[in-house]
Amino acid sequence: MTKYFTLNVKSMLTHPELLFWSIAFIEFWVVMWAYVFGAYVPKVEEAVKIYTADAYGSLLTLSLSATAVGITEAFLHSSRSIRFVTKYTKLSPSRFMAEHMASSMVVLTLVSAVMFASIAGVFTQKFGMYTPPEMPLELVAVTLLGCLFMYAISAFLSLAVVVFKAPRSARFVSYIPLILGFLAYGALWMDFKALAYVSPFNCILALCIYYYSGVKPTTGAFVMGGGVEMNMGLALCSLVAWVSALTALSILFLRRMKGVGIEEIRVV
Amino acid sequence: MPMILVEGLKVSYKWRQEPVLRGVDGEFDNKSLILGPNGSGKTTLFRAVCGLTNITEGRVLIDGRNVEDVYAEPGILSVNFPEVYSLLSVKVRDLITLYADLSGADPSKTYAILEELGIPMELLGKRKLHELSAGQRKAVCTAMALSMDAKHVLLDEPFEQLDPARKGRLIKYLNEYDGVVLLNTHETWLMKNLPEWDAYFMFEGRLYGSASVKKLLNVRLSLRDEPEAVLKMEVAGKTISLVRGRRGTLLTSLESLDRVYELALEAGA
Repeated sequence: MTKYFTLNVKSMLTHPELLFWSIAFIEFWVVMWAYVFGAYVPKVEEAVKIYTADAYGSLLTLSLSATAVGITEAFLHSSRSIRFVTKYTKLSPSRFMAEHMASSMVVLTLVSAVMFASIAGVFTQKFGMYTPPEMPLELVAVTLLGCLFMYAISAFLSLAVVVFKAPRSARFVSYIPLILGFLAYGALWMDFKALAYVSPFNCILALCIYYYSGVKPTTGAFVMGGGVEMNMGLALCSLVAWVSALTALSILFLRRMKGVGIEEIRVV
Repeated sequence: MPMILVEGLKVSYKWRQEPVLRGVDGEFDNKSLILGPNGSGKTTLFRAVCGLTNITEGRVLIDGRNVEDVYAEPGILSVNFPEVYSLLSVKVRDLITLYADLSGADPSKTYAILEELGIPMELLGKRKLHELSAGQRKAVCTAMALSMDAKHVLLDEPFEQLDPARKGRLIKYLNEYDGVVLLNTHETWLMKNLPEWDAYFMFEGRLYGSASVKKLLNVRLSLRDEPEAVLKMEVAGKTISLVRGRRGTLLTSLESLDRVYELALEAGA
């Protein structure tokens, strides 16, 4: 590893906007889930566990999506530097990608840990009981896979803007992860049917709920008790396929991109 | 022998109707000045040489290798564009450490140059690159480019917003640098300080030259097509000439090549 790894972690962890939207803003919703939306949840272990699992899946997806916005923006603003360092320093495109991915994963994992700890703490305080995950190792694994997906979509989107020379759309494109994250959040009220398998955000949400509570979620409309039970194997395959495809495309794009000047990225 | 070869280089941007570079040819194996007014395509030429922009036509060879094929080769080329030192949003001191680590350079060399250029050291630990003034930012990027010990260094307007004393110190570094240096500027006063260099001129996306700076120190700019010209260039649809003798404006007295357009307008009126 070069100094890029540690300095990228430092840069992201000291970025006030990234910290605000990924952690502080979502913490507000943790409190809302516990004390407002959770007011009528019966204080029965099984009910609390399913409710906590729903909260973890939904809020983790939003939190990681917000982090993905920060990663996309940072990538876009440094695209010319990335082009330069991959040509004229020891960071080859693949080595850059590996170090960028590893450092982003550290941050995404820390954000996930904060989400888990705060949900556990606030929900224990509210319901008077701690409901640990049913399948903790699987939950950690799927959380990491979710982090990997968020990294892959950030890298893909930012590189696509540069390769397809669309700097004017940079601002909008960088928000796509959060927009899709909020769409998946809509699964609380809306049945996505087969789309629940197509959307990787819905897959992350569903897998987290399953590994936390041990209960298979439906394809959507959780609040209304609608949808049909999801196939967890299929959801996992879909997520892995998305991660693989986006990572492969990002590596391909990284060699093709020439970078885009900061001045070309329209600031709305 | 280190060399940058540019052949039939054309660059267009989709938001601009006119091409920025209209077929540039050049062979740079020495220290070369590229003189031209603002907007003539000097910075775009440097971006194309580094492989930082899409080339519409032509090619760039660095030591015989197409620039498109160069990857992960520290020590080949460095440049002082602030945009290439924006890899991370960290304090300048961390940025210097990072680029030194990535390029195998000695960070103490960067600090030594920055001290000579009058950049307060405490500032480097407190500010990010974009938080520095334009002059300080340029000085930091130039110092980082020079300390990478690359075989080819491209310096885009390195004297902008530097005071005269610091300009003198930077000139000393440039003359002592062991490698190919390409420096673009619109300021002609610089020529007197770099007599051993080659000079090229750039107007409206075309490169003219080269000629030895020493030989150009006494030439004058004539706004006509002179048969005995040292160099002829097309500017705003007219041919202008660099000539020896008493007719025209002394090139080194122009201060900025932006004045060529003013003179052409005056002559037209």
